[in-house]
Amino acid sequence: MPVSRSPRPDPSATAATAVESVTGARDRFRESLREHLSSAVSEFTAATALIVLFVALSLASPHFLTADNLFNIGSQTAVIAIIAVAQTMIIITKGIDLSVGAVAALAGVVGAIVVRDLGFTVWEATAVAVGVGASAGLVNGLLIAGARLPPFIATLGMMSAGRGLVFIITGAVGVYSLPESFQLLGNGEIAGVPFAVAVTAAVALGSAFLLSQTRFGQYVYAMGSNMEAARRSGIAVRRHLTAVYVLAGALVGLGGMVAASRVNSGQPNYGIGLELDVIAAAVIGGASLFGGQGRIAGTLIGAFLIAVVRNGSVLLDISIHYQQVIVGLIIWAAVYFDQFRRRRLEARG
Amino acid sequence: MAIDSRTRSGLAVLAALAALTAGACVEVRDDSGGGDGGTVDGPLEIAVVPKAVGHEFWSTVRAGAECAAELAGDVTVEWDGVSAETDVEGQVNLIQNFVTQEVDGIVYAATDAAALAPATQHALDAGVPVAMIDSGTDPQPDEVPLYATDNRAGAVEAANLLAQALGEGEHDVALIEFQPGSQTNTERVEGFTEGLAQHGNLNLVGQQPSHSDVNEARRVTEDILTANPDLAGIFAANEPSVLGAAQAVEAAGKSGEVVIIGWDAAPDEIAGLRDGQIAALVVQNPFRMGFFGVQNMVEHLREGTPMTSADTGVTFVTRENIDSEEVQAVLEPSCDNPPVGQ
Repeated sequence: MPVSRSPRPDPSATAATAVESVTGARDRFRESLREHLSSAVSEFTAATALIVLFVALSLASPHFLTADNLFNIGSQTAVIAIIAVAQTMIIITKGIDLSVGAVAALAGVVGAIVVRDLGFTVWEATAVAVGVGASAGLVNGLLIAGARLPPFIATLGMMSAGRGLVFIITGAVGVYSLPESFQLLGNGEIAGVPFAVAVTAAVALGSAFLLSQTRFGQYVYAMGSNMEAARRSGIAVRRHLTAVYVLAGALVGLGGMVAASRVNSGQPNYGIGLELDVIAAAVIGGASLFGGQGRIAGTLIGAFLIAVVRNGSVLLDISIHYQQVIVGLIIWAAVYFDQFRRRRLEARG
Repeated sequence: MAIDSRTRSGLAVLAALAALTAGACVEVRDDSGGGDGGTVDGPLEIAVVPKAVGHEFWSTVRAGAECAAELAGDVTVEWDGVSAETDVEGQVNLIQNFVTQEVDGIVYAATDAAALAPATQHALDAGVPVAMIDSGTDPQPDEVPLYATDNRAGAVEAANLLAQALGEGEHDVALIEFQPGSQTNTERVEGFTEGLAQHGNLNLVGQQPSHSDVNEARRVTEDILTANPDLAGIFAANEPSVLGAAQAVEAAGKSGEVVIIGWDAAPDEIAGLRDGQIAALVVQNPFRMGFFGVQNMVEHLREGTPMTSADTGVTFVTRENIDSEEVQAVLEPSCDNPPVGQ
């Protein structure tokens, strides 16, 4: 990751200038450098852990480093990675989205139903699922940016209401009897690459570009660093914050559709607890729940780290109970090392 | 999970309010009715609570319960459940709320044997009789019957079916369980391992849970197949586990090559059986559970008949017998021809 050469003007500076116009340019530069370095540090920590794990598993199991297994890991990570990208955008704004599991399930079952009952193609159904996710995101966004509910509460409500809607729509029974073509998105291949992986890559690249290269991206970081400062510096906070939730919702809808397609059915119970996995992925990758920090690359590494732990555990037939403990330890370790290095960096700064 | 219970309580409050408003004119309830000996006249309201809503299995339980209610006449089934089997606390609250709501009887499947025992006792103390379906509590009071599958016996038989399908020689097999810690899961796992012990040529090389999530079942099965390229057979212990396992095997291009013995009978499981992806399904009779639960509860309430436990039985479904009348009555239960004869 090129750190100091990043062309992105420091986002926190956008907000900071408004309130601290007296601060010297040199200080601002230093602060900017520090922010970039600390993001890179988290990614470095997580990436190191991932590499160590890769080497360890390659030694422990002859089946780990095989094309088939890597192919599987890619497909298994796709959904959590797509939704973790959405969660990262929200976390950067100092928000949180607890409704991702419920909204993913809602999008997935609606996508399955329009194929089964209305004869939509899988691509049309994907558009519908993305629309369902974006609509849920719009409601979240309006509640948070408009009605000023805390993100935790707004999305807690959506988590409950969304899951309820899933049960109402499906009658609490899985949506089955779908045509073979429904599986294209989740199980198909494009030029030898699993379709789900290609979609994930496109989502990640697009989101990384949006966050690091566009004005909208700057606003996202600025709002997360200091919402009030962002408002005073003339950013249309309400509109942009809502837009972040709509965009994230659309990605969650896409993720839910990939998950449904992968198991060729709409599962009303899909994604219970998913919000915790994706928050973990974002946090391991360096996103800060205090807002203003987090990058897509880090989140992807976090998502892969969790997926590789799970994959390795099954290859070595380690009980699920230990897997959960391991993921917990990784979260602690990642955030601890992260803060430790940041403090050292700041002490030097 | 706290969220689910919160929703539950909220809904239960709403339901209770609705019941109060509606009940204002009809509810003249004899409070001694639930206790021993006394009987209740007039319309009955029976709460039926599954482990969780969202699976084919529980919808069939519901159909059975509603069928018994319809045949008995003047009985209303109040169907409500938590959204995840892991939401034990939510179910405890739900049962308590039904007691508060003063339903005439509660028929339910415990998400956790120990945790729900006090909830059952609480209902009995309040004079509301309880019947368990699918999964009982520990301890379970004498006056509370259990209408359930003998999971252990069914799982022993699943191991036998697997051994039969694989034949002579050494074979690696795997087990996809669903909810470690739940009683039903424990019984099936123990039954299967007990059954495997009878067949020295089968080696259990992998055992992972699906948490009743098809995506997760698929993921762990893929990984087990990766780690054990020679895997010959899989026993998947419930509906989502079977579907995920079958998809993983198909994705690995090993359909029919890896023998899958499944449990339950969701439409896609039946389709998998017909396609040859799944060798056999151990099929319970959830219709009968719901039916027996409500039928016996109604007799108990109206005539004072004591309720006694019964095994609701399993059917082993294969491609050969699937179209037989007997199997079809279990697979496509209808209230016109309920599969409830002993």
